Amino acid sequence: MRCGTTSQGRSCPRNCKRIKPSNMPLANRLGRRTRRLSASQETGRRHRSNSFGDGPAEGIVLKISLAAPGAAATLVVARAADRAVLPLLIGGVVLLFLVSLGVGAVRLPIGSVVAALFGFGGEIQQTIVQDIRLPRALLAMAIGAIHGLSGAALQGLLRNPLASPSLFGAPQAAAFGAVLVIATGLADVLSFALPFAAILMAFASVFVLIAVAGRNSSLLLLILAGLALSSLAGAATALALNLSANPFAALEISFWLLGSLEDRSFHHLALALPFIVCGGWLLLARRDAFRALSLGEETAQSLGVNVAGLRLQVIIGVALGVGAAVAVSGTIGFIGLMAPHLMRPLVGHDPGRLLWPSALAGAALLLAADIAVRIIPSSTGIKVGVLTALIGVPFFLYLIMRERRRLGGGLA
Amino acid sequence: MSRRLGRRGWRIFASAIILLSFVTGALAGPARVASINMCTDQLLLALADPEQIAGLGPYARDPRLSWSATEALRYPRLSGEAEDLLMLQPDLVLAGRYGKRATRDLLRAKAVPVAEFDVPRSIDDVKSQIRRAGDLVGHRERAEALIATIDEALSRTRAAASRRHDRVLTVSRRGWIAGGDSLTSSLLAAAGLSNAASDLGLPHGGFAALETIVASKPDLILIAEADPAAEDQGKALLLHPAIQRAYPPNKRLVIAEQLTMCGGPMLPAALDRLTAALDRIGH
Repeated sequence: MRCGTTSQGRSCPRNCKRIKPSNMPLANRLGRRTRRLSASQETGRRHRSNSFGDGPAEGIVLKISLAAPGAAATLVVARAADRAVLPLLIGGVVLLFLVSLGVGAVRLPIGSVVAALFGFGGEIQQTIVQDIRLPRALLAMAIGAIHGLSGAALQGLLRNPLASPSLFGAPQAAAFGAVLVIATGLADVLSFALPFAAILMAFASVFVLIAVAGRNSSLLLLILAGLALSSLAGAATALALNLSANPFAALEISFWLLGSLEDRSFHHLALALPFIVCGGWLLLARRDAFRALSLGEETAQSLGVNVAGLRLQVIIGVALGVGAAVAVSGTIGFIGLMAPHLMRPLVGHDPGRLLWPSALAGAALLLAADIAVRIIPSSTGIKVGVLTALIGVPFFLYLIMRERRRLGGGLA
Repeated sequence: MSRRLGRRGWRIFASAIILLSFVTGALAGPARVASINMCTDQLLLALADPEQIAGLGPYARDPRLSWSATEALRYPRLSGEAEDLLMLQPDLVLAGRYGKRATRDLLRAKAVPVAEFDVPRSIDDVKSQIRRAGDLVGHRERAEALIATIDEALSRTRAAASRRHDRVLTVSRRGWIAGGDSLTSSLLAAAGLSNAASDLGLPHGGFAALETIVASKPDLILIAEADPAAEDQGKALLLHPAIQRAYPPNKRLVIAEQLTMCGGPMLPAALDRLTAALDRIGH
C-alpha cells in the first residue's frame, strides 16, 4: 500500500487497516462496486481538471488485488448469510408485532385478538385491539425502524461506529422543539405544528453538532459535543415545561425525556408516519454513496459522490425521521446505536447493505422493549425509553471498550 | 372649618378601628391566619374576615384549580414554603395533611401553630372540616350557614337523583381514576349513581390503562371539561378515539375540576352542577 500521496496522507492508515482478513468480503464487494463506478466515471474525470491526482484510483486498484485472493470462500458464506438475514428479520418483526397486539393491561386470548383485529368479536375487544394496540404496535415498528436506520446512516456518513442520533442529541433537541410549541401555547399535542417543530430542532442540532465538531473530527469530539447538546436540550425541555402554566409539568417532563408509546392512537400515527417515510426514503436512497464514502471522503468524491450533498441529505433524513418520531413518542434513545451493531456481524461492514437490516432490527428492538414495559409488573407504567437506555448504555460502554482496544489505545 | 371637621372625622375613624380590632381580637379567633394548601385556602376565604387572612398558598389564584381564584387575588400570595411564613409570623397556619411535611415540621419547631386538614372523603367529611375551620377562625356562624347551603343543594340533588343507578367512572388526565373512597364518589351517590372505580380495583384512586378503562365499560364517564384540548400528553388521553367513540357527549357528565378537587364553599355549586349534568343527558 502506498500512502505517500499528499491528499491520501491522512486517511490512508484507516484504509490500510480496513483490509484485513475479517473484512475481505467487504473489500471485495467494494472493489467490484468501485470498479464499476470508476469505469463510468473514467470519461468524466478525464475531462475534468482533477486535483486528486492518481492517488485514489491507485489505492483502489491495489485494494482489489489485495482482496481478491482469499475472499472467494468467505464471500459464498457471507452471501448465504446475507440472503437469510432479511427474511429472518422480517419474520422476527412480524412475530413481535403480533405479540405486541396480544399484550396489554387487559388479558385477551390470542384467538379473540386475531378476531378483533379483523373486525369480529365483541365491541370492547375490537376497540382495544384496533384503536389502542394496533396504532401502538405500528408506531413502535415505524419509530424503531427510523431510529435504527438513522443510526446506520449516521455511522455510514461519519464512518464512525459510535455515531447514533441519541448520542448526538437529536431526539432530545426534537423533544425540546415539540415542548417549546406546547409550552408557548402555539399548538396542542395533536397538531402538525409539533412534528414540524421537532424536525426543525433535530435538524438544527445535528447541523450544529457536525459544524462544531467538524466533519472529519474524531469520535471523541463528536461524542463530547453530542453529550453537551443532549444535556442542553434535555435541560431546556424541562425548563420550558416548568415555566409553562402547566401544573402537571413533572409528568410531562418524564414523558418527553424518557419516551413512551402508551395509549397512542391512529392520530399520532398520522402525525408521524409521513415524515418517517420521507426521512427513511432519503436515507435509503443513498446506499451506494455510503458504500463509496467508506473508502474515504476524497475517494468518494473522486468517484462522483457529492459528499456535501450526501451529508445534507442524511442530516435532513435523520431530522425528518427522528423529529417526527419524537413528536409522538418522546425521546427514545439507543435503538439507533444498537441496531446497526447487532446487524454488522451478520451482513458485513458495507454501510449500504447495513441500512435495511438496521431498520428492521430497530423495529424489532423497540417492539420488544414496548412489549417488555407492558409485561414487567409495576404500579405506574414504565417508560419505554428507560428500558432502551438500561440496555443501550451498557452496550455503549462495551462498544467504547472494544473501540479502545481496536484503536490500540489504553488508559495507561 | 373643613380642617377641623376632618380632624374630628379622623379621630372617630381611628377610635372605630381601635374598637373593631379590640372586638375582633377578643371575640373572633386569631388575628392573622395563613394557609398553604389550596383547599384550606378556600375554607379560609369563605369563613374568615378579610383582615384575618395573612396570606394564601401558591395555587389559590389559579382559576383552573381554585373555585375562589378571583377572591384570592386580594390577598398576599405565599410560596407555600417555610421561609415567608416565618417572616410573616401568623397566629395560625392552615395546611394539608399530605405533602410539605418538612415545611410543617419546621413551622412547629419555630412555634408557629399549624392546623392540618385531611383530604375530605365524603360530604360529611367536608361538613366537619367546615365546622372545624369555622371554630379555628372564630366564625362558627358562617360555618353553620355554609353547611346549611350545602344541605339545601344536597336535598335538591337527591330529589333529582337518577333511578337507573348508572356506573360512572371519573377519568382525568393520563387515566387517573378517582377512587370509590372519595368526595366525588359521595357526590355521585347523592345523585343516585355509583363509582365504577371499585370494579377496577382502585378503591383509593389511581392510574388505569386506557384498555382497562374501556374494558370496565362504565355507563357514563365524569370528566372535567366538555371539550378537552390536547394541551399536553396527559390530557391527550381524553381525546383518544377509544374514549371519544364509546362516550359521546350524551354519555359524559362534565364537572369542572375546581368543583371536585376540594370540599368547601364550592360544594353547593358542585352538587347543582351534577344535577344539571344529569338533567342534560336525560336522566
